Amino acid sequence: MKRIISLIVFVLLFCSFSLLVCAYGGNVTYSGNAGNFVFEPGSDYSITDLFPDFKDVMPGDSITQKITVKNNADQKVAVKIYIRSLGAHKESAEFLSKLDLTVAVCDQNEMPYMFEAKANETAQLTDWVCLGTLYSGGEVDLDVTLKVPVELDNEFMNSVGYFDWEFKVEEFPSKPDDPKPPQTGDNAYIIFWSSLAIITVIALIILLYRKKKEEKHA
Amino acid sequence: MIAELITQIPKKEDTQLGKIKTKIVVVALMAALITLMSQATLAYYQTVGKATNVVTSGNISFAIHETTDKGTEFPKDGVFTCPGDIVSKKVTVENICEHPFYLRVKMVYGVDSKELSAEDCFKLNINEESWTLHDGWYYYTDIVNPGETTPNVFSHVEIVGSKVDNSYLGKTLTLTVKAQAVQSENNPITDGNTYTASGWPKEAEG
Repeated sequence: MKRIISLIVFVLLFCSFSLLVCAYGGNVTYSGNAGNFVFEPGSDYSITDLFPDFKDVMPGDSITQKITVKNNADQKVAVKIYIRSLGAHKESAEFLSKLDLTVAVCDQNEMPYMFEAKANETAQLTDWVCLGTLYSGGEVDLDVTLKVPVELDNEFMNSVGYFDWEFKVEEFPSKPDDPKPPQTGDNAYIIFWSSLAIITVIALIILLYRKKKEEKHA
Repeated sequence: MIAELITQIPKKEDTQLGKIKTKIVVVALMAALITLMSQATLAYYQTVGKATNVVTSGNISFAIHETTDKGTEFPKDGVFTCPGDIVSKKVTVENICEHPFYLRVKMVYGVDSKELSAEDCFKLNINEESWTLHDGWYYYTDIVNPGETTPNVFSHVEIVGSKVDNSYLGKTLTLTVKAQAVQSENNPITDGNTYTASGWPKEAEG
């Protein structure tokens, strides 16, 4: 009986793990129709914080985090998305001036860094920089790397630094020959596979039960 | 005849000028329309959103625990001792932060008298398996991970009878345990010696 219970638990755990979907990094999602941007995941410090990995950093750390900028507008429009930096908040400037920040569009070799400066500066992102034209469902990934110098002084222990980024969209009507939106969502028939897993477990239990019964009779 | 010609000439010029003017107006209107239409196709809407991003730095912190062999906290006001006494005093250090660190401790002796020295009055049973002496500091030989507590630095203190004579009668001898930690992340050491780590505070900073 213990074996059967263990088996059931194992199968159920396996099924539940396979249904898990994990999300990493930050997300900037444009919801369309001149609507709002949604910034995720946020943090205890700011609800629009894009950098969950840039917390509790230590001297010598070099951390890269991916930011996905996505167009979730309907298929009638394409959008041009721009980014710019407003720099550090006044009280954070000293701490952030010790840290190095780079921003690059993933897998784009012709422009290695669209931003490469101290984290408090606006540098190459002082003016709007176009991230590209995104059709419905389209996205562009940014690699943002924060480097903390190993010689960062003790006085910056437990420091908090705030810096602002702005995103802008311009909507355009999409044309019939525009690229089709990429396939999104899960087409794995979750209910079907879950049901199948449960039926299999029940069948397994019945078979084991019958086998035991037959053994007893024999 | 001549008079007729004179009157006709300006009339012809007038109509030509009028035609030119009409053409200019039409072209200007078309340009304006094209400009307006092209602006309309350039962008329907614009919207701007602001993300306030945050970077926070970590810290390292520890707690020094001083207990007796009965498991109780060592009295903050100290204990009365006589020469030759052995006092139970277990000293450990606990990592109470989220980051691992290297650790060193130093014992500082004192007496409330300018004429006397407390330097040789105490004899400690240092746990030399876990603590290595280097330049006056005892370095813990391993990394102290978050939530971990080190083994005892020492567990007993002997009041050295041969050193504590009558001149110490009624005096207060102090034994202070001083500790310093430095992060072990991104901080390589040489030959497993934790004293080779970077970032140990200078003596004056102590």
